[in-house]
Amino acid sequence: MYFNPRGLDNAGKTTILKRLNGEDVNTISPTLGFNIKTLEHRSFKLNIWDIGGQKSIRSYWRNYFESTDGLVWVVDSADVRRLEDCKAELHALLGEERLAGATLLVFANKQDLAGALSSNEIRKALELDTIHSHHWSIQWCSAVTGEKLLDGVDWLIDDIASRIFTMD
Amino acid sequence: MSGNSSAGRKKGGGFLARQAQKKKSITEEELLNKDIIRPEDVTRLGKMTENYLCKPSANVFGIEFTRFKIRDMESGDVIFEIAKPDNAEEIPQETNNDDDDDPRRGRYVRYQFSPKFLDLKSVGATVEFVVGDKAINSFRMIECHYFREKLLKSFDFDFGFCIPNSKNTCEHIYEYPELNPDLKEEMINSPFETRSDSFYFVDNKLVMHNKADYCYNAEM
Repeated sequence: MYFNPRGLDNAGKTTILKRLNGEDVNTISPTLGFNIKTLEHRSFKLNIWDIGGQKSIRSYWRNYFESTDGLVWVVDSADVRRLEDCKAELHALLGEERLAGATLLVFANKQDLAGALSSNEIRKALELDTIHSHHWSIQWCSAVTGEKLLDGVDWLIDDIASRIFTMD
Repeated sequence: MSGNSSAGRKKGGGFLARQAQKKKSITEEELLNKDIIRPEDVTRLGKMTENYLCKPSANVFGIEFTRFKIRDMESGDVIFEIAKPDNAEEIPQETNNDDDDDPRRGRYVRYQFSPKFLDLKSVGATVEFVVGDKAINSFRMIECHYFREKLLKSFDFDFGFCIPNSKNTCEHIYEYPELNPDLKEEMINSPFETRSDSFYFVDNKLVMHNKADYCYNAEM
């Protein structure tokens, strides 16, 4: 089972990954490449690819689409100014043929910040309800406090597992 | 992209299976005579190498390991970490540091653990590496850990694509293989007889070969 957190730079992808793994989240610099984690969770073997979100790196995302079961899109809910950019990148990504079967989890991250939009507002801003090509869900969270991260990941794994086992 | 790790190959099978296995194995000498070494070659070795199977110059992609870290997943404690260049501790070289021809230069790490390390249930092993200004389409690692002749654990992991001039990390979080008490005792009493080969392939060609050895009798 493979899933890949994506999102604009500074959305909090690496912090989410580190928080889920119980690592120090105080010293994270922009990811100029990938961070991979492989682990077993609930008897599934998970491979997580966290790819940098800087504009100069986004053109390389396409190299990581193969065999992706789940896509985690991380949104900085307080960065209202870039939500339009965020929406465009997400919808472009979902048009990728090789991601056709992937389940989408949207994390409305940074809910610990004053001024963060709610997950409902993010859902509207990103026009998630227009997505019919993928199973998707949105989950508010705070990577800094760790709140609701596992809920999101558990949903994602359940959804992928149900697809995989139905196919068998 | 695919990755898997296994706690060693199952023994046995019938006579035919054993013969097939025999036929499949390959010696280090045979590999040293090959121009190009493939992943399927090193998986047929079945034991620790004596030499390096490629020269440092085979690494034309500027791949450089800049950090090794091991942490205990239960307590979250970092048990071992070396990094360069901003860290005080250099990647250790044994002796004759002045000799540029030392084949171990930059390709060998010595890990010193206390006996408690062998009791850990779940560990996270991180490598950090940088790549040069060429994109790498397919980067794959095969790593085998042995105590003497016994295979303890092997990893086969495909990193896939690497972005030019990128810095990347990969952490494998795994359950430490269950070792019987006698074997543990022997490993503690036989420093540096636990060793590992790490083979790195770009487009299925061997470009790097690193080694490590381990002791478990260090004091914390």
